[in-house]
Formats: sequence, structure tokens, C-alpha cells
Amino acid sequence: MKESLLDILCCPLDKHDLDLEDASGEDEIESGTLVCTECGERYPIEDGIPNLLPPDMREETPA
Amino acid sequence: MDLASRRGLETDVYQPAEDSHLLAETAVERLSSRSPGRLLEVGTGSGYIGAHLADELAWDVVVSDLNPHACRQARDRGLDAVRADLVEPFATSSFDAVVFNPPYLPTDPDDERDDWMEVALSGGHSGLVVIEPFVETVGRVLATDGVAVLLVSSLTGVPSVVGLAAEAGFSAIAVADESFPYETLTVLELVR
Repeated sequence: MKESLLDILCCPLDKHDLDLEDASGEDEIESGTLVCTECGERYPIEDGIPNLLPPDMREETPA
Repeated sequence: MDLASRRGLETDVYQPAEDSHLLAETAVERLSSRSPGRLLEVGTGSGYIGAHLADELAWDVVVSDLNPHACRQARDRGLDAVRADLVEPFATSSFDAVVFNPPYLPTDPDDERDDWMEVALSGGHSGLVVIEPFVETVGRVLATDGVAVLLVSSLTGVPSVVGLAAEAGFSAIAVADESFPYETLTVLELVR
């Protein structure tokens, strides 16, 4: 994902800003973690795609 | 016959069909008269509509989907993809337009399958199970003068969607329609 995408993303639970941690990648962020500045929930970025589903939905969806 | 076999589909990701083409073309036509801004396509599936909008419009395009396989296909098309439930992880007033080809087919609960194609197609018993929360929440991420462009089928019922839009503070205008043997597809533009 492009770093500029951070400006328009928020925590799906409480809508607070996200901090980027452990980012790696060259032109774009390929992996890392987005952390809610309010509730501390952690959202993974894998293969350039941030997974911003709330934790309970990560499990519910078909594989 | 379940939804996927009715439509002759068998993959993990909904591939472009008549509804996708109608929405892609209508959204380009409608948005090209507005000054370029930032656009979100919700439920992008294969990324076909998002890629078409990115090619035809000078807008920044972001796409989202619940389905990880869809996010991957969209990213492989060069789009900025976010795995998301509707507009939940997007910041307030971030977008000048939101485009959505929702799952809209009314489905008997007994026929629901537990796979991604069902998620892409089924709108639950009423056909509105995804459209309703979308219409209720999209206003938060839209700029004040922003627009939502939404595809609806006669199988779901255009008047019910117009009613939901009104409850959420939007005026809905039908900007395109196309008839098929089993349904008429309508593109609604929602503005405040």
C-alpha cells in the first residue's frame, strides 16, 4: 500500500487514527502493522494489503 | 439452483458481468462532470470497475473488499486495495465519491452456501442485507458534496433502496437503467 493511504484509514472499531509499525517495502509498504492510537487494536499489512477487518470478522468469513 | 451456478460462476472472486459494465460506464459518465477527487470502490471483487475508473478518470482510486482473494486480484491490477467491511476503516469525509455494486440478490436462507461467491452475490432474504448498512454508513466517509453511485436490481426493489437513502439523509436519483430477462438494473446516485 502507498504510505499516503494512511491519511484516509482509521480503526474500524472506534474510528481513531492508526500508527504504522514495523513497516517494510521499497516504493510501497509491503508488510507491517497498523495500530489504533486509541484502543491499541493491531491490523496486519500483508503483501501490500492492509487487513482492516475488525478482529471478530477475520474469523467469521469463509476461506 | 444456487446463485453461483445460476450465473455460471465457480471461482472465489466475482468476475465482471452486465451489472459491473453498467455501473463502470455510468460512474465514469457521472463523475467526469465533477472535479477530480478521491474515490472509493466498495466490494471491488476482481477490481474491474475500480481499474476502469482509474483508467478513465483523473481521480485517486482506492478499492476495498471483504474477500482476501478479491483484494489480491485488485492489487494485481495495480489498485490500492484494503480489506474492509464496507466503509468502516475509512476516515470521516475522505471521499468525494463512493461506488458500489453490492450483493443484491434475494436469497432463501436454506440455499445460502458458505463460500465467497455467496458473499459476493447474496443480499439475504430481502436482498438488502448489505445495501442497508452501506447506505446507513456511507455518509460518514463522504465529503459534504460527495456522491454515492450504487447499483440496484429490480429483484431487490429500487423503491426500498430509495427509502433507505432518504432515511440516511440522501436524495436518490436513477441515472441509468438496463433491462435483462430476469431483472432490470438501475444505477442510483445518492447526494445530500
